[in-house]
Amino acid sequence: MSRQVQTVDPLSLQDIRPDATRRVGRLSALVAALRSREGTLLLVIVAACAGLALLRPQFLTTANLRAVATGTIYDLPLAAGMTIVLVTGGIDLSVGALLALTGVCITLLLGSGVPVGVAVGAGFGLAAAVGFLNGLLAAGFGLPPFIVTLGTMSIARGTAAVLTSGYMISGLPESYIAFGRARWLGIPVPLIVTVLLLATLDLLVRRWRPLHDAFYVGQNAAAARLSGINVAGVTISAYVLSAVLAAVSAAFMTARLGMGYARFGDLAELRAIAAAVLGGASFSGGSGSVAGSALGVLLLAIILNGFVLLDFSIYWQSVASGVILVVAIAVDHLRGSAS
Amino acid sequence: MRAVLRAAGVSKAFGPNQVLHDVTFALQRGTIHALVGENGAGKSTLMNILSGVFRPDSGAVMLDDTAVVFENPRHAMARGIRTVHQELSLFPNRSVAANIFGRHQPSNRWGFVRRREMRERAASALARIGSAIDPDALVGELSIGEQQMVEIARALAEEARVLILDEPTSALSEPDAERLFTVLRDLRSSGAAIIYISHKLTEVMRLSDEVTVLRDGRVVGTSPAESVNQDQLVRLMVGRDVAATRPDRTAADASDILVVEGLSRGRTFREVSFSVRSGEILGFAGLVGSGRTEVCRAIFGADRFDRGRVLVNGESVSIRCPRDAIRLGIGYLTEDRKAQGLFLAMSVGANIVAASQPRVATRLAFLRSAVTRATANAWLRRLDIRPQDDRYLAGRLSGGNQQKVLLAKWLAAEPRVLIVDEPTRGVDVGAKAAIHAQLQALAARGLAIVLVSSELPEVMSLSHRIAVFRGGCLVAMLDGRTASADEVMTHAAA
Amino acid sequence: MPPRERLRAWLPRRVPVPLVGLAVTLLVLIAAMTIAFPEFATFANGQVIATGFMPEALMSLGMTAVIVSGGIDLSVGAVLPFTAILAGLMLHAGVSVPLAIGTALICSAVVGLLNAALSSALRVHPFIVTLATMLVLKGVNLVVTGGAPVSGFPTGFTMLGQGTLGGVPAPLIVFTVLATVFGVALRHHRFWQQVYLIGGNPRAAQLAGVPVDRILLVVYAVCALMAGVAGVLVAAAYGSVSAGFGQNSELKVITAVVLGGANLNGGTGSIGGTLLGVLLLAVLYDAFTMTGVSTYWQDVVSGAMVLGSVLAAELLNRRRLLTAS
Repeated sequence: MSRQVQTVDPLSLQDIRPDATRRVGRLSALVAALRSREGTLLLVIVAACAGLALLRPQFLTTANLRAVATGTIYDLPLAAGMTIVLVTGGIDLSVGALLALTGVCITLLLGSGVPVGVAVGAGFGLAAAVGFLNGLLAAGFGLPPFIVTLGTMSIARGTAAVLTSGYMISGLPESYIAFGRARWLGIPVPLIVTVLLLATLDLLVRRWRPLHDAFYVGQNAAAARLSGINVAGVTISAYVLSAVLAAVSAAFMTARLGMGYARFGDLAELRAIAAAVLGGASFSGGSGSVAGSALGVLLLAIILNGFVLLDFSIYWQSVASGVILVVAIAVDHLRGSAS
Repeated sequence: MRAVLRAAGVSKAFGPNQVLHDVTFALQRGTIHALVGENGAGKSTLMNILSGVFRPDSGAVMLDDTAVVFENPRHAMARGIRTVHQELSLFPNRSVAANIFGRHQPSNRWGFVRRREMRERAASALARIGSAIDPDALVGELSIGEQQMVEIARALAEEARVLILDEPTSALSEPDAERLFTVLRDLRSSGAAIIYISHKLTEVMRLSDEVTVLRDGRVVGTSPAESVNQDQLVRLMVGRDVAATRPDRTAADASDILVVEGLSRGRTFREVSFSVRSGEILGFAGLVGSGRTEVCRAIFGADRFDRGRVLVNGESVSIRCPRDAIRLGIGYLTEDRKAQGLFLAMSVGANIVAASQPRVATRLAFLRSAVTRATANAWLRRLDIRPQDDRYLAGRLSGGNQQKVLLAKWLAAEPRVLIVDEPTRGVDVGAKAAIHAQLQALAARGLAIVLVSSELPEVMSLSHRIAVFRGGCLVAMLDGRTASADEVMTHAAA
Repeated sequence: MPPRERLRAWLPRRVPVPLVGLAVTLLVLIAAMTIAFPEFATFANGQVIATGFMPEALMSLGMTAVIVSGGIDLSVGAVLPFTAILAGLMLHAGVSVPLAIGTALICSAVVGLLNAALSSALRVHPFIVTLATMLVLKGVNLVVTGGAPVSGFPTGFTMLGQGTLGGVPAPLIVFTVLATVFGVALRHHRFWQQVYLIGGNPRAAQLAGVPVDRILLVVYAVCALMAGVAGVLVAAAYGSVSAGFGQNSELKVITAVVLGGANLNGGTGSIGGTLLGVLLLAVLYDAFTMTGVSTYWQDVVSGAMVLGSVLAAELLNRRRLLTAS
């Protein structure tokens, strides 16, 4: 008994036609958006705000809200960078220390009369170099990222301390500080710049191949390489980007606070991790969202603001950050096992 | 004869999937009982239930005709049921002896390990299966065949009444497989009961006393091995007649697309030279470890080579990474689809465009989702991939569909030369036929294909020419139409 | 059984080449320092080195098992002061010395249990769980002490850190005993041998019936316990403890273990190697103090050493694999 062997034509490019646009109901699109990670975060944020407003009405004053918003300026770039690194399946524990080191370098350079552009450029360059080192050791030599960035974190923190002997250093030019404290329509300019930066990064991560490839790399680096993706390049770029974003944060912090200090960004990397994980990133790589991590930063800022309003000792912040991190991982795990 | 191990009316479901329906299976003492079936037929699940990994939803497992409930694999092991899984689960940094005993290293009253006793008992366990491997050797330094032997010695180190083997020869060379068969026959004569799960029907016919066929979670037949032939088995497995594909043997014309000259890397492969024409299927035959995959990876830029050169369309090219190869029109469908080919946690659509992103992106490297989805959906239709949903998670597909997705990924990259490495490994009979037909159609349309396969029938029915490898060298180039299986094996194994 | 065969069975089959290199580096360093600073090779300096690095040395014992299992514990630097502070508070409240120490140590072990349990339950690499634990404990330490040091320990307690037995400082005795116990257990005890299996191939270990979760609970509990012991001894030695004690020590501990031949992926490592690593680092940091290098440089050195040791281990590993094939 013979059987018809199906011959299937191989594809020819002319056969590809974009699918007819399917009309998706407005309501179902809204529901889908709300059920996404970003949507859930938004709901939690609204709930947190409502709860806090009930307990402490001064939460809703303009001054307080402005303080919360301003507090996110430095964490937003770090969270975005951390998200991208997590997507590639790595981690960057050195961002807080890099923030401090870059800030110190910029302050020292500006303090000795170097032009603003050069000083900031040098700071960014230094950060990029450290990021490159991180990426090279992690991707090029296959060393575990957490130990690599733990090492560079220590080196960066130590170098910042050596350069400043532990003191807060100043000497920043007025123009620089003025930029940091400038406002547009009542909103701090650095905040506007940061939000725009993150919005751009979010778009790029979703749509721009060099950054989007990070998802493939984080999912399955071997398969990514064999599919023609430049795994080493993508990984190193992620760490460089993370470091440069830390430098952005440093530039704003030194400008707004008017000084450089070796202990800036203490524990900032952990808040960045918590924010990124809240935003959808996972330690196994291959997932994450810059927009989500921005919301994560906002949520964390609101919680910490709550601590202040509720008169908890600042030492509790450290405890809270740790607990939030664990909760974020737990939520991530439960979601993962549910899907 | 009383059955040693029996499954009576066993059913098991995972969520909405009913994987086993009312399965009845009896294993007699002193027999080798083969379990065959397509992928997804339920063999692994049945094996896992018998070895204590899962518990049946209904029905019972009976040991010596008494019902037992295994709480966990350890429980089953304690009752004498040993399993040798498909993927070796050894500890490369530990010695052979440590591997054989695992957590049950012979120790004194306080828990301190008795090294000498351990070494002696390991040596005798190995001797029992005819192996003289040094018990102190590090497992990581052994060959695959030797490691398989260690696995079996491990399974037999404690009292084993039932031995379950899952695809034991998938990574073994012919001589090692023969050695394994001898061991199994010896065990059978000493009264052990063996369950042998395999896709290789020739082996099954040679080795087993009884065969049970599973299809879609049901037992469709059990019979003594001498009462059935291979065709009948296939018919039972698939449920329909599948004639052996008789391919179009028209010789290819046209020019050489890929020429490889004198490719060498140490002892892995030496002075490999061949050419492939447009429209031709060149089969790479040879034993496991003969260097075929290594040569392909070197050509594709995944690994380095020391000497030699590669020419594409007559021009000498330098391929230093897979990206270079893809740009030159070479594609490589890897041997291990899960670890090296697919992104299991991503959608089917994302997988299909993974190697052809320049095509679906704008000049400034921005991805166009409409084009991506259209491309993906077109391929889902063409290759009959089920379900036809480009958002479906690749990891949830069956083996055959996953392989088709992998094929789609490479075809979407529009290669001129496609290297396929074990394209139907772990794929059920139906999907296998579809993939074979697909490859032939592609060749007919002008694609040059290098087919690496350890299944001789596959190589022989598809290839226009057969390159036989042995020990890293290309020892013979045979005409695909006239070569006989014996000829190929002679070159491959001599 | 002939005595030589007996000895052969107990020695490691191969002494890894890197350990020999490590020993050589150590000797060279000691030699160089002795030439530059004659007082380096004195008994008094030896005591300084020993007491200075004691906490890290103790913690590295437990960390070896953790790293062999394929994990890591970043919380030890915070568990150290936590345990000491806890003991101190109990002593202040009038609890007897043995009870205070015992309870504090139990609490430190519980932290270890928590680390392992969370890591298994959340299916996440221990580094992130222990990072979080470190964060939490750091905060707790600060909250409880208000940033001020805890002192006023009774002599019954400080005796542990400052007393001597036959001229040998008590902490050193404790350490020697613990190091021997760990060394023997890790190499010769069936339970601890399973840790190598878990680190070598976690999936295979599970299939082989190794109770992975249960063993990891013990491994991490013991590691945290060692940090607790270190905390108690430090507090006893100095007569006070503050929340900042032990900061950044986890880096030094990990470096010591990696220098000693352990692979961060798990499956390899030994107490003997770790001890060599500990010795090298102890001598190195003492050299810093002697040559008058500022303490701020210590962080830089710690970081560089971690990177250097992990990189060196990887390169040596690659060369070994290359020559083996």
